Amino acid sequence: MSALIEAKGLSKSYGNHKALDNVNFTVKRGRVVGLVGPNGAGKTTILNAILGLTSFDGDLTILGLKPDQNRHQIMQKVSFISDVAILPKWLVVENAIEYVNQVHPNFNKEKALRFLSKTKIPMKAKVKALSKGMVAQLHLALVMAIDAELLVLDEPTLGLDILYRKNFYNQLLSDFFNEERSILVTTHQIEEIENLLTDLIFVKDGKIILNDSMQSVSENYAEVMVGKERVEAAKALNPIIERDVFGRKVFLFEGVDREVLEALGEIHSPSVADIFVAKMEEV
Amino acid sequence: MNALTILLKREYWEHKGAIFYTPAIMAAVFAGLMLIGSFSADEFVVTHNNEYTFSDHLPKLVDKFEELSGREQKQGVQLALYGTLVFFCGVMLLISLFYCLGCLYDERKDRSILFWKSMPVSDTKTVLSKFATVCFLIPISYFVVITAFQIYMMIFLTVLAWIGGSWGTMIWASSNLFGVMFNGLMALIMGMLWLSPFWAWLIFASSWAKKVAFMWAALPIIMLTIAEGWIFKTNYFIEMIAMRGANTFAIMNSNLHFTTHKEIFDIEVMRWYEVFGNSEFWIGLIVAGVFLAGAIYTRSVRNET
Repeated sequence: MSALIEAKGLSKSYGNHKALDNVNFTVKRGRVVGLVGPNGAGKTTILNAILGLTSFDGDLTILGLKPDQNRHQIMQKVSFISDVAILPKWLVVENAIEYVNQVHPNFNKEKALRFLSKTKIPMKAKVKALSKGMVAQLHLALVMAIDAELLVLDEPTLGLDILYRKNFYNQLLSDFFNEERSILVTTHQIEEIENLLTDLIFVKDGKIILNDSMQSVSENYAEVMVGKERVEAAKALNPIIERDVFGRKVFLFEGVDREVLEALGEIHSPSVADIFVAKMEEV
Repeated sequence: MNALTILLKREYWEHKGAIFYTPAIMAAVFAGLMLIGSFSADEFVVTHNNEYTFSDHLPKLVDKFEELSGREQKQGVQLALYGTLVFFCGVMLLISLFYCLGCLYDERKDRSILFWKSMPVSDTKTVLSKFATVCFLIPISYFVVITAFQIYMMIFLTVLAWIGGSWGTMIWASSNLFGVMFNGLMALIMGMLWLSPFWAWLIFASSWAKKVAFMWAALPIIMLTIAEGWIFKTNYFIEMIAMRGANTFAIMNSNLHFTTHKEIFDIEVMRWYEVFGNSEFWIGLIVAGVFLAGAIYTRSVRNET
Protein backbone atom coordinates (compact mmCIF):
# COMPACT_ATOMS: atom_id res chain seq x y z
CA MET A 1 0.00 0.00 0.00
CA SER A 2 1.18 3.49 -0.81
CA ALA A 3 2.63 5.75 1.82
CA LEU A 4 0.60 8.71 3.00
CA ILE A 5 3.64 10.78 3.82
CA GLU A 6 7.02 10.40 2.21
CA ALA A 7 9.87 12.67 3.28
CA LYS A 8 13.31 12.43 1.73
CA GLY A 9 16.12 14.79 2.67
CA LEU A 10 13.69 17.24 4.23
CA SER A 11 15.59 20.32 5.40
CA LYS A 12 14.72 23.80 6.58
CA SER A 13 16.98 26.58 7.74
CA TYR A 14 16.27 29.86 9.45
CA GLY A 15 19.42 31.84 8.75
CA ASN A 16 22.25 29.75 10.15
CA HIS A 17 19.98 27.68 12.32
CA LYS A 18 19.04 24.34 10.84
CA ALA A 19 15.50 23.63 12.04
CA LEU A 20 15.42 20.40 10.02
CA ASP A 21 18.51 18.62 8.82
CA ASN A 22 18.06 15.96 6.14
CA VAL A 23 15.03 14.26 7.65
CA ASN A 24 13.71 11.02 6.10
CA PHE A 25 10.59 9.13 7.11
CA THR A 26 7.43 7.58 5.73
CA VAL A 27 3.99 7.16 7.21
CA LYS A 28 1.90 4.31 5.84
CA ARG A 29 -1.85 3.81 6.08
CA GLY A 30 -3.41 2.50 9.25
CA ARG A 31 -0.72 3.86 11.55
CA VAL A 32 -0.78 6.13 14.59
CA VAL A 33 2.56 7.85 14.62
CA GLY A 34 3.85 9.77 17.60
CA LEU A 35 6.28 12.56 16.75
CA VAL A 36 8.18 13.28 19.94
CA GLY A 37 10.91 15.75 20.73
CA PRO A 38 11.84 18.55 23.08
CA ASN A 39 10.75 22.13 22.38
CA GLY A 40 12.54 23.56 19.38
CA ALA A 41 13.55 20.14 18.04
CA GLY A 42 11.71 20.69 14.76
CA LYS A 43 8.39 18.89 15.32
CA THR A 44 6.25 21.86 14.42
CA THR A 45 8.43 22.59 11.40
CA ILE A 46 7.85 19.03 10.16
CA LEU A 47 4.08 19.37 10.68
CA ASN A 48 4.01 22.79 9.02
CA ALA A 49 5.88 21.40 6.02
CA ILE A 50 3.40 18.51 5.76
CA LEU A 51 0.46 20.93 5.97
CA GLY A 52 1.83 23.28 3.34
CA LEU A 53 2.28 26.06 5.87
CA THR A 54 5.99 26.54 5.27
CA SER A 55 8.56 26.23 2.52
CA PHE A 56 11.31 23.59 2.76
CA ASP A 57 14.16 21.92 0.88
CA GLY A 58 14.14 18.28 -0.12
CA ASP A 59 11.35 15.97 -1.24
CA LEU A 60 8.07 15.74 0.60
CA THR A 61 4.90 14.24 -0.80
CA ILE A 62 1.56 13.89 0.94
CA LEU A 63 -0.76 11.46 -0.86
CA GLY A 64 1.47 12.00 -3.88
CA LEU A 65 1.06 15.80 -3.80
CA LYS A 66 3.57 18.50 -2.91
CA PRO A 67 2.28 20.42 0.11
CA ASP A 68 4.10 23.68 -0.61
CA GLN A 69 2.30 23.95 -3.95
CA ASN A 70 -0.99 22.08 -3.46
CA ARG A 71 -2.08 22.92 0.07
CA HIS A 72 -5.76 23.35 -0.77
CA GLN A 73 -5.88 20.03 -2.65
CA ILE A 74 -4.09 18.17 0.12
CA MET A 75 -6.48 19.61 2.67
CA GLN A 76 -9.33 17.70 1.05
CA LYS A 77 -7.73 14.54 2.40
CA VAL A 78 -5.81 15.82 5.39
CA SER A 79 -7.30 17.22 8.60
CA PHE A 80 -5.48 19.23 11.17
CA ILE A 81 -6.00 20.20 14.78
CA SER A 82 -3.42 22.38 16.42
CA ASP A 83 -3.51 23.79 19.92
CA VAL A 84 -7.29 24.13 20.19
CA ALA A 85 -7.44 27.88 20.63
CA ILE A 86 -7.28 28.50 16.89
CA LEU A 87 -11.00 28.49 16.11
CA PRO A 88 -11.82 32.18 15.59
CA LYS A 89 -13.62 33.71 18.55
CA TRP A 90 -16.36 35.40 16.52
CA LEU A 91 -17.45 32.22 14.76
CA VAL A 92 -20.92 30.91 15.67
CA VAL A 93 -21.14 27.11 16.06
CA GLU A 94 -23.82 26.60 13.40
CA ASN A 95 -21.95 28.89 11.01
CA ALA A 96 -18.78 26.89 11.53
CA ILE A 97 -20.66 23.76 10.45
CA GLU A 98 -22.20 25.52 7.46
CA TYR A 99 -18.80 26.85 6.43
CA VAL A 100 -17.00 23.51 6.54
CA ASN A 101 -19.97 21.84 4.88
CA GLN A 102 -19.76 24.28 1.96
CA VAL A 103 -16.00 24.39 1.45
CA HIS A 104 -15.11 20.78 2.23
CA PRO A 105 -16.12 18.11 -0.30
CA ASN A 106 -15.54 15.28 2.21
CA PHE A 107 -17.47 16.72 5.14
CA ASN A 108 -20.45 14.85 6.54
CA LYS A 109 -22.74 17.39 8.18
CA GLU A 110 -25.04 14.81 9.82
CA LYS A 111 -22.05 13.16 11.42
CA ALA A 112 -20.81 16.47 12.83
CA LEU A 113 -24.27 17.27 14.20
CA ARG A 114 -24.45 13.83 15.77
CA PHE A 115 -21.14 14.37 17.57
CA LEU A 116 -22.24 17.80 18.72
CA SER A 117 -25.58 16.55 20.00
CA LYS A 118 -23.66 14.46 22.52
CA THR A 119 -22.09 17.62 23.93
CA LYS A 120 -23.54 20.62 25.71
CA ILE A 121 -22.40 23.02 22.99
CA PRO A 122 -25.23 25.39 21.96
CA MET A 123 -25.54 25.81 18.18
CA LYS A 124 -26.08 29.57 18.44
CA ALA A 125 -23.08 30.23 20.67
CA LYS A 126 -19.96 32.02 19.54
CA VAL A 127 -16.64 30.27 20.04
CA LYS A 128 -15.58 32.94 22.55
CA ALA A 129 -18.51 31.95 24.78
CA LEU A 130 -17.42 28.30 24.94
CA SER A 131 -15.06 26.80 27.49
CA LYS A 132 -11.70 25.56 26.27
CA GLY A 133 -12.94 21.98 26.52
CA MET A 134 -16.01 22.79 24.45
CA VAL A 135 -13.90 24.44 21.76
CA ALA A 136 -11.83 21.26 21.60
CA GLN A 137 -15.00 19.17 21.29
CA LEU A 138 -16.31 21.42 18.55
CA HIS A 139 -13.07 21.26 16.61
CA LEU A 140 -12.93 17.49 17.04
CA ALA A 141 -16.55 17.14 15.87
CA LEU A 142 -15.75 19.16 12.75
CA VAL A 143 -12.60 17.20 12.01
CA MET A 144 -14.01 13.74 12.67
CA ALA A 145 -16.87 14.42 10.28
CA ILE A 146 -14.31 14.92 7.51
CA ASP A 147 -13.53 11.78 5.57
CA ALA A 148 -9.78 12.39 5.74
CA GLU A 149 -6.96 9.95 5.13
CA LEU A 150 -4.47 11.68 7.36
CA LEU A 151 -5.15 13.49 10.60
CA VAL A 152 -2.40 15.72 11.96
CA LEU A 153 -2.60 16.67 15.63
CA ASP A 154 -0.25 19.27 17.09
CA GLU A 155 -0.55 19.35 20.87
CA PRO A 156 -4.32 18.90 20.44
CA THR A 157 -5.10 18.59 24.14
CA LEU A 158 -2.92 21.39 25.50
CA GLY A 159 -4.58 23.06 28.44
CA LEU A 160 -7.47 20.61 28.69
CA ASP A 161 -8.26 18.69 31.84
CA ILE A 162 -7.71 14.97 32.13
CA LEU A 163 -11.34 14.00 31.44
CA TYR A 164 -11.38 15.86 28.15
CA ARG A 165 -8.00 14.50 27.19
CA LYS A 166 -9.04 10.87 27.72
CA ASN A 167 -12.29 11.46 25.91
CA PHE A 168 -10.56 13.18 23.04
CA TYR A 169 -8.33 10.22 22.24
CA ASN A 170 -11.00 7.60 22.92
CA GLN A 171 -13.33 9.30 20.49
CA LEU A 172 -10.59 9.56 17.88
CA LEU A 173 -9.85 5.87 18.06
CA SER A 174 -13.43 4.64 18.10
CA ASP A 175 -14.96 7.06 15.58
CA PHE A 176 -12.15 8.10 13.30
CA PHE A 177 -9.27 5.69 13.11
CA ASN A 178 -9.25 2.66 10.80
CA GLU A 179 -6.78 0.74 8.64
CA GLU A 180 -7.18 3.17 5.74
CA ARG A 181 -6.34 6.21 7.80
CA SER A 182 -3.34 7.45 9.69
CA ILE A 183 -2.84 9.83 12.56
CA LEU A 184 0.32 11.85 13.15
CA VAL A 185 0.43 13.35 16.62
CA THR A 186 2.81 15.48 18.65
CA THR A 187 2.30 15.94 22.35
CA HIS A 188 4.23 16.47 25.55
CA GLN A 189 1.85 14.20 27.39
CA ILE A 190 3.37 11.17 25.75
CA GLU A 191 2.36 8.76 28.53
CA GLU A 192 -1.30 9.40 27.72
CA ILE A 193 -1.05 8.25 24.16
CA GLU A 194 1.71 5.68 24.15
CA ASN A 195 -0.81 2.84 24.17
CA LEU A 196 -2.43 4.23 21.03
CA LEU A 197 0.74 4.55 19.00
CA THR A 198 1.84 2.06 16.35
CA ASP A 199 4.98 3.97 15.43
CA LEU A 200 7.36 6.29 17.14
CA ILE A 201 9.60 9.03 15.78
CA PHE A 202 12.00 10.95 18.02
CA VAL A 203 13.35 14.27 16.82
CA LYS A 204 16.28 16.11 18.32
CA ASP A 205 18.01 19.22 16.98
CA GLY A 206 16.33 18.89 13.61
CA LYS A 207 17.35 15.26 13.15
CA ILE A 208 15.47 12.00 13.55
CA ILE A 209 17.15 9.89 16.21
CA LEU A 210 14.59 7.11 16.41
CA ASN A 211 12.06 5.91 13.87
CA ASP A 212 10.54 2.52 14.52
CA SER A 213 7.32 0.64 15.12
CA MET A 214 6.16 0.35 18.72
CA GLN A 215 6.51 -3.38 18.47
CA SER A 216 10.18 -3.33 17.61
CA VAL A 217 10.74 -0.55 20.15
CA SER A 218 9.37 -2.82 22.85
CA GLU A 219 11.51 -5.69 21.59
CA ASN A 220 14.58 -3.53 21.32
CA TYR A 221 14.49 -1.71 24.62
CA ALA A 222 14.44 -3.34 27.99
CA GLU A 223 14.72 -2.04 31.51
CA VAL A 224 16.42 -4.28 34.01
CA MET A 225 16.44 -3.91 37.76
CA VAL A 226 19.82 -5.13 38.91
CA GLY A 227 21.05 -6.01 42.38
CA LYS A 228 24.36 -4.57 43.66
CA GLU A 229 26.35 -7.69 42.95
CA ARG A 230 25.58 -7.62 39.21
CA VAL A 231 26.03 -3.87 38.56
CA GLU A 232 29.45 -4.27 37.00
CA ALA A 233 28.21 -7.02 34.69
CA ALA A 234 25.31 -4.79 33.63
CA LYS A 235 27.54 -1.80 32.93
CA ALA A 236 29.67 -3.97 30.68
CA LEU A 237 26.70 -4.34 28.36
CA ASN A 238 26.62 -0.57 27.64
CA PRO A 239 23.27 0.52 29.08
CA ILE A 240 22.06 3.78 27.58
CA ILE A 241 20.97 5.14 30.93
CA GLU A 242 21.03 4.15 34.57
CA ARG A 243 19.14 5.34 37.62
CA ASP A 244 18.76 4.44 41.28
CA VAL A 245 15.56 2.97 42.62
CA PHE A 246 15.37 1.97 46.32
CA GLY A 247 19.06 1.19 46.53
CA ARG A 248 19.01 -0.89 43.40
CA LYS A 249 20.10 0.11 39.94
CA VAL A 250 17.80 0.26 36.94
CA PHE A 251 19.49 0.07 33.54
CA LEU A 252 17.96 0.73 30.15
CA PHE A 253 19.42 -1.36 27.33
CA GLU A 254 19.08 -1.00 23.62
CA GLY A 255 19.41 -4.03 21.36
CA VAL A 256 20.73 -6.45 23.97
CA ASP A 257 19.63 -10.08 23.85
CA ARG A 258 16.76 -10.88 26.30
CA GLU A 259 18.42 -14.05 27.56
CA VAL A 260 21.53 -12.11 28.54
CA LEU A 261 19.44 -9.54 30.38
CA GLU A 262 17.33 -12.11 32.19
CA ALA A 263 20.47 -13.33 33.88
CA LEU A 264 21.01 -9.85 35.35
CA GLY A 265 17.66 -9.36 37.00
CA GLU A 266 14.00 -8.48 36.57
CA ILE A 267 13.07 -7.19 33.07
CA HIS A 268 10.44 -4.46 32.52
CA SER A 269 9.15 -2.80 29.38
CA PRO A 270 10.27 0.78 29.61
CA SER A 271 7.77 3.54 28.99
CA VAL A 272 8.16 5.72 25.93
CA ALA A 273 8.93 8.60 28.27
CA ASP A 274 11.87 6.64 29.74
CA ILE A 275 13.22 5.79 26.32
CA PHE A 276 12.74 9.39 25.26
CA VAL A 277 14.70 10.76 28.19
CA ALA A 278 17.46 8.20 27.59
CA LYS A 279 17.72 8.99 23.88
CA MET A 280 17.77 12.72 24.52
CA GLU A 281 20.61 12.44 27.02
CA GLU A 282 22.55 10.08 24.80
CA VAL A 283 25.11 11.62 22.40
CA MET B 1 -19.42 30.41 -7.65
CA ASN B 2 -20.67 28.33 -4.75
CA ALA B 3 -17.24 28.58 -3.14
CA LEU B 4 -17.25 32.37 -3.46
CA THR B 5 -20.71 32.59 -1.89
CA ILE B 6 -19.66 30.78 1.27
CA LEU B 7 -16.43 32.78 1.51
CA LEU B 8 -18.42 36.03 1.27
CA LYS B 9 -20.82 34.70 3.89
CA ARG B 10 -17.85 34.04 6.11
CA GLU B 11 -16.74 37.68 5.71
CA TYR B 12 -20.25 38.83 6.50
CA TRP B 13 -20.41 36.73 9.68
CA GLU B 14 -17.14 38.16 10.89
CA HIS B 15 -17.84 41.77 9.99
CA LYS B 16 -21.61 42.14 10.15
CA GLY B 17 -21.16 44.95 12.68
CA ALA B 18 -19.31 47.12 10.17
CA ILE B 19 -21.02 45.81 7.06
CA PHE B 20 -24.64 45.87 8.20
CA TYR B 21 -25.32 47.11 11.73
CA THR B 22 -23.33 50.34 11.38
CA PRO B 23 -25.40 51.69 8.45
CA ALA B 24 -28.58 50.20 9.90
CA ILE B 25 -28.08 52.05 13.17
CA MET B 26 -27.22 55.22 11.26
CA ALA B 27 -30.45 54.88 9.28
CA ALA B 28 -32.44 54.26 12.45
CA VAL B 29 -30.96 57.36 14.07
CA PHE B 30 -31.76 59.50 11.02
CA ALA B 31 -35.27 58.08 10.89
CA GLY B 32 -35.75 58.82 14.58
CA LEU B 33 -34.43 62.36 14.21
CA MET B 34 -36.83 63.00 11.32
CA LEU B 35 -39.75 61.85 13.45
CA ILE B 36 -38.70 63.86 16.48
CA GLY B 37 -38.02 66.84 14.26
CA SER B 38 -41.47 66.86 12.73
CA PHE B 39 -43.25 66.30 16.05
CA SER B 40 -41.38 69.08 17.74
CA ALA B 41 -41.29 71.41 14.75
CA ASP B 42 -44.25 73.39 16.12
CA GLU B 43 -42.29 74.24 19.25
CA PHE B 44 -39.33 75.55 17.31
CA VAL B 45 -41.40 77.70 15.02
CA VAL B 46 -43.47 79.11 17.87
CA THR B 47 -40.49 80.19 19.94
CA HIS B 48 -38.70 81.80 17.04
CA ASN B 49 -41.57 83.30 15.18
CA ASN B 50 -45.00 83.76 16.70
CA GLU B 51 -46.82 84.30 13.45
CA TYR B 52 -47.55 80.70 12.49
CA THR B 53 -46.59 77.14 13.40
CA PHE B 54 -45.17 74.25 11.41
CA SER B 55 -48.65 72.71 11.21
CA ASP B 56 -49.95 75.95 9.75
CA HIS B 57 -47.05 76.17 7.39
CA LEU B 58 -47.18 72.58 6.13
CA PRO B 59 -50.22 72.98 3.83
CA LYS B 60 -48.54 75.96 2.22
CA LEU B 61 -45.42 73.93 1.59
CA VAL B 62 -47.49 71.12 0.10
CA ASP B 63 -49.31 73.58 -2.12
CA LYS B 64 -46.03 75.09 -3.21
CA PHE B 65 -44.72 71.64 -4.12
CA GLU B 66 -47.81 70.81 -6.13
CA GLU B 67 -47.52 74.08 -8.02
CA LEU B 68 -44.03 73.16 -9.22
CA SER B 69 -43.57 71.82 -12.74
CA GLY B 70 -43.32 68.05 -13.17
CA ARG B 71 -39.61 68.38 -13.90
CA GLU B 72 -38.99 70.38 -10.73
CA GLN B 73 -41.00 67.95 -8.62
CA LYS B 74 -38.93 65.07 -9.94
CA GLN B 75 -35.77 66.95 -9.25
CA GLY B 76 -36.83 67.75 -5.70
CA VAL B 77 -37.81 64.22 -4.74
CA GLN B 78 -34.84 62.59 -6.43
CA LEU B 79 -32.40 65.03 -4.83
CA ALA B 80 -33.77 64.07 -1.43
CA LEU B 81 -33.32 60.38 -2.28
CA TYR B 82 -29.83 60.67 -3.78
CA GLY B 83 -28.81 62.99 -0.97
CA THR B 84 -29.00 60.14 1.54
CA LEU B 85 -26.01 58.45 -0.14
CA VAL B 86 -23.70 61.28 0.90
CA PHE B 87 -24.07 60.39 4.58
CA PHE B 88 -23.71 56.66 4.13
CA CYS B 89 -20.86 56.52 1.64
CA GLY B 90 -18.44 58.39 3.90
CA VAL B 91 -18.99 55.83 6.64
CA MET B 92 -18.78 53.02 4.09
CA LEU B 93 -15.35 54.19 2.89
CA LEU B 94 -14.12 54.41 6.46
CA ILE B 95 -15.24 50.92 7.52
CA SER B 96 -13.85 49.52 4.24
CA LEU B 97 -10.46 50.98 5.12
CA PHE B 98 -10.47 49.17 8.45
CA TYR B 99 -11.87 46.01 6.90
CA CYS B 100 -9.02 45.81 4.38
CA LEU B 101 -6.34 46.53 6.98
CA GLY B 102 -7.64 43.73 9.21
CA CYS B 103 -8.71 41.10 6.73
CA LEU B 104 -5.42 39.18 6.47
CA TYR B 105 -3.80 40.52 9.63
CA ASP B 106 -6.37 39.54 12.26
CA GLU B 107 -6.37 35.86 11.30
CA ARG B 108 -2.62 35.73 11.85
CA LYS B 109 -2.89 37.67 15.09
CA ASP B 110 -5.42 35.29 16.67
CA ARG B 111 -3.83 32.28 14.92
CA SER B 112 -7.17 31.25 13.42
CA ILE B 113 -5.28 31.22 10.10
CA LEU B 114 -4.29 27.65 11.04
CA PHE B 115 -7.95 26.71 11.07
CA TRP B 116 -8.72 28.50 7.79
CA LYS B 117 -5.67 26.91 6.17
CA SER B 118 -6.74 23.47 7.35
CA MET B 119 -9.68 23.83 4.94
CA PRO B 120 -9.32 23.06 1.23
CA VAL B 121 -9.58 26.71 0.20
CA SER B 122 -6.72 28.18 -1.83
CA ASP B 123 -4.98 31.39 -0.85
CA THR B 124 -6.07 32.84 -4.19
CA LYS B 125 -9.75 32.27 -3.46
CA THR B 126 -9.34 33.57 0.08
CA VAL B 127 -7.70 36.82 -0.99
CA LEU B 128 -10.13 37.34 -3.87
CA SER B 129 -13.06 36.85 -1.48
CA LYS B 130 -11.69 39.68 0.67
CA PHE B 131 -11.38 41.90 -2.40
CA ALA B 132 -14.91 40.97 -3.53
CA THR B 133 -16.18 41.79 -0.05
CA VAL B 134 -14.92 45.35 -0.20
CA CYS B 135 -15.87 45.97 -3.86
CA PHE B 136 -19.27 44.25 -3.89
CA LEU B 137 -20.54 42.87 -0.58
CA ILE B 138 -20.03 46.08 1.40
CA PRO B 139 -21.62 48.45 -1.18
CA ILE B 140 -24.51 46.02 -1.71
CA SER B 141 -25.16 45.81 2.02
CA TYR B 142 -25.05 49.60 2.34
CA PHE B 143 -27.33 49.84 -0.68
CA VAL B 144 -29.91 47.60 1.03
CA VAL B 145 -29.91 49.84 4.10
CA ILE B 146 -29.98 53.01 2.00
CA THR B 147 -32.94 51.68 0.01
CA ALA B 148 -34.85 50.88 3.19
CA PHE B 149 -34.12 54.39 4.42
CA GLN B 150 -35.20 55.92 1.10
CA ILE B 151 -38.52 54.07 1.25
CA TYR B 152 -38.98 55.22 4.83
CA MET B 153 -38.30 58.76 3.68
CA MET B 154 -40.90 58.47 0.91
CA ILE B 155 -43.49 57.23 3.39
CA PHE B 156 -42.51 60.01 5.78
CA LEU B 157 -42.96 62.66 3.08
CA THR B 158 -46.27 61.09 2.05
CA VAL B 159 -47.59 61.33 5.60
CA LEU B 160 -46.48 64.96 5.77
CA ALA B 161 -48.32 65.55 2.49
CA TRP B 162 -51.48 63.98 3.97
CA ILE B 163 -51.27 66.26 6.96
CA GLY B 164 -50.77 69.15 4.58
CA GLY B 165 -53.91 68.19 2.69
CA SER B 166 -52.66 66.24 -0.31
CA TRP B 167 -52.66 62.58 -1.31
CA GLY B 168 -48.95 62.67 -1.80
CA THR B 169 -49.15 60.67 -5.00
CA MET B 170 -46.94 63.24 -6.72
CA ILE B 171 -44.08 62.24 -4.47
CA TRP B 172 -44.22 58.62 -5.63
CA ALA B 173 -44.91 59.52 -9.23
CA SER B 174 -41.85 61.78 -9.43
CA SER B 175 -39.51 59.53 -7.49
CA ASN B 176 -38.53 57.11 -10.28
CA LEU B 177 -37.70 54.90 -7.30
CA PHE B 178 -36.36 51.89 -9.23
CA GLY B 179 -34.17 54.11 -11.36
CA VAL B 180 -32.85 55.84 -8.26
CA MET B 181 -32.17 52.48 -6.62
CA PHE B 182 -30.34 51.09 -9.63
CA ASN B 183 -28.25 54.23 -10.19
CA GLY B 184 -27.45 54.41 -6.50
CA LEU B 185 -26.28 50.80 -6.34
CA MET B 186 -24.14 51.11 -9.45
CA ALA B 187 -22.63 54.39 -8.26
CA LEU B 188 -21.61 52.77 -4.97
CA ILE B 189 -20.08 49.69 -6.64
CA MET B 190 -18.26 51.65 -9.36
CA GLY B 191 -17.00 54.08 -6.73
CA MET B 192 -15.55 51.18 -4.74
CA LEU B 193 -14.01 49.64 -7.88
CA TRP B 194 -12.50 53.00 -8.81
CA LEU B 195 -10.60 52.80 -5.54
CA SER B 196 -9.56 49.16 -6.12
CA PRO B 197 -5.78 49.80 -6.22
CA PHE B 198 -6.10 51.43 -2.81
CA TRP B 199 -8.10 48.52 -1.35
CA ALA B 200 -5.70 45.98 -2.87
CA TRP B 201 -2.74 47.86 -1.40
CA LEU B 202 -4.35 47.77 2.06
CA ILE B 203 -5.09 44.04 1.69
CA PHE B 204 -1.47 43.48 0.69
CA ALA B 205 -0.27 45.48 3.70
CA SER B 206 -2.64 43.45 5.86
CA SER B 207 -1.09 40.22 4.60
CA TRP B 208 2.45 41.07 5.62
CA ALA B 209 2.20 43.53 8.52
CA LYS B 210 3.90 42.22 11.64
CA LYS B 211 2.24 44.79 13.86
CA VAL B 212 -0.15 47.75 13.40
CA ALA B 213 -1.22 47.14 9.81
CA PHE B 214 -2.18 50.79 9.40
CA MET B 215 1.44 51.86 9.83
CA TRP B 216 2.69 49.30 7.32
CA ALA B 217 0.15 50.58 4.82
CA ALA B 218 0.77 54.28 5.43
CA LEU B 219 4.56 54.35 5.78
CA PRO B 220 5.49 53.51 2.15
CA ILE B 221 3.00 56.12 0.93
CA ILE B 222 4.44 58.74 3.28
CA MET B 223 8.04 57.81 2.40
CA LEU B 224 7.36 57.95 -1.35
CA THR B 225 5.71 61.33 -0.93
CA ILE B 226 8.63 62.70 1.06
CA ALA B 227 11.15 61.20 -1.35
CA GLU B 228 9.37 62.69 -4.35
CA GLY B 229 9.20 66.11 -2.72
CA TRP B 230 12.87 65.94 -1.81
CA ILE B 231 14.22 64.70 -5.15
CA PHE B 232 11.86 66.26 -7.68
CA LYS B 233 10.29 69.03 -5.60
CA THR B 234 6.88 67.79 -6.75
CA ASN B 235 3.97 65.99 -5.10
CA TYR B 236 2.27 64.12 -7.93
CA PHE B 237 2.12 60.85 -6.03
CA ILE B 238 0.08 62.04 -3.06
CA GLU B 239 -2.04 64.21 -5.37
CA MET B 240 -2.82 61.14 -7.45
CA ILE B 241 -3.95 59.24 -4.35
CA ALA B 242 -6.01 62.18 -3.08
CA MET B 243 -7.58 62.54 -6.53
CA ARG B 244 -8.53 58.86 -6.56
CA GLY B 245 -10.29 59.32 -3.24
CA ALA B 246 -12.05 62.50 -4.35
CA ASN B 247 -13.13 60.83 -7.59
CA THR B 248 -14.57 57.90 -5.65
CA PHE B 249 -16.68 60.22 -3.56
CA ALA B 250 -17.75 62.08 -6.70
CA ILE B 251 -18.68 58.88 -8.56
CA MET B 252 -20.71 57.64 -5.59
CA ASN B 253 -22.61 60.94 -5.52
CA SER B 254 -22.60 61.61 -9.26
CA ASN B 255 -26.38 61.06 -9.34
CA LEU B 256 -26.82 63.97 -6.97
CA HIS B 257 -24.49 66.08 -9.08
CA PHE B 258 -26.34 65.41 -12.29
CA THR B 259 -29.81 65.83 -10.76
CA THR B 260 -29.06 69.31 -9.44
CA HIS B 261 -27.60 70.43 -12.77
CA LYS B 262 -25.23 72.45 -10.67
CA GLU B 263 -21.50 72.09 -10.02
CA ILE B 264 -21.45 70.62 -6.53
CA PHE B 265 -18.02 69.08 -6.95
CA ASP B 266 -14.93 71.03 -7.83
CA ILE B 267 -13.69 68.21 -10.06
CA GLU B 268 -14.89 66.58 -13.21
CA VAL B 269 -17.60 64.10 -12.28
CA MET B 270 -18.22 60.80 -14.05
CA ARG B 271 -21.54 59.00 -14.09
CA TRP B 272 -21.12 55.41 -12.99
CA TYR B 273 -21.26 54.04 -16.55
CA GLU B 274 -18.72 56.57 -17.77
CA VAL B 275 -16.19 54.98 -15.44
CA PHE B 276 -15.90 52.03 -17.85
CA GLY B 277 -14.63 54.34 -20.57
CA ASN B 278 -11.90 55.83 -18.41
CA SER B 279 -8.41 54.41 -18.89
CA GLU B 280 -7.42 55.31 -15.32
CA PHE B 281 -10.08 52.89 -14.11
CA TRP B 282 -8.54 49.99 -16.02
CA ILE B 283 -5.00 50.92 -15.04
CA GLY B 284 -6.20 50.98 -11.44
CA LEU B 285 -7.59 47.46 -11.79
CA ILE B 286 -4.27 46.22 -13.17
CA VAL B 287 -2.39 47.81 -10.27
CA ALA B 288 -4.91 46.21 -7.90
CA GLY B 289 -4.18 42.86 -9.55
CA VAL B 290 -0.46 43.24 -8.84
CA PHE B 291 -1.07 44.03 -5.17
CA LEU B 292 -3.54 41.16 -4.84
CA ALA B 293 -0.98 38.77 -6.35
CA GLY B 294 1.44 40.00 -3.70
CA ALA B 295 -1.16 39.39 -0.99
CA ILE B 296 -1.86 35.87 -2.30
CA TYR B 297 1.83 35.00 -2.23
CA THR B 298 2.35 36.50 1.21
CA ARG B 299 -0.63 34.68 2.65
CA SER B 300 0.77 31.38 1.39
CA VAL B 301 4.04 31.81 3.29
CA ARG B 302 3.15 33.85 6.36
CA ASN B 303 1.19 32.33 9.22
CA GLU B 304 2.24 34.47 12.13
CA THR B 305 2.43 38.12 13.02
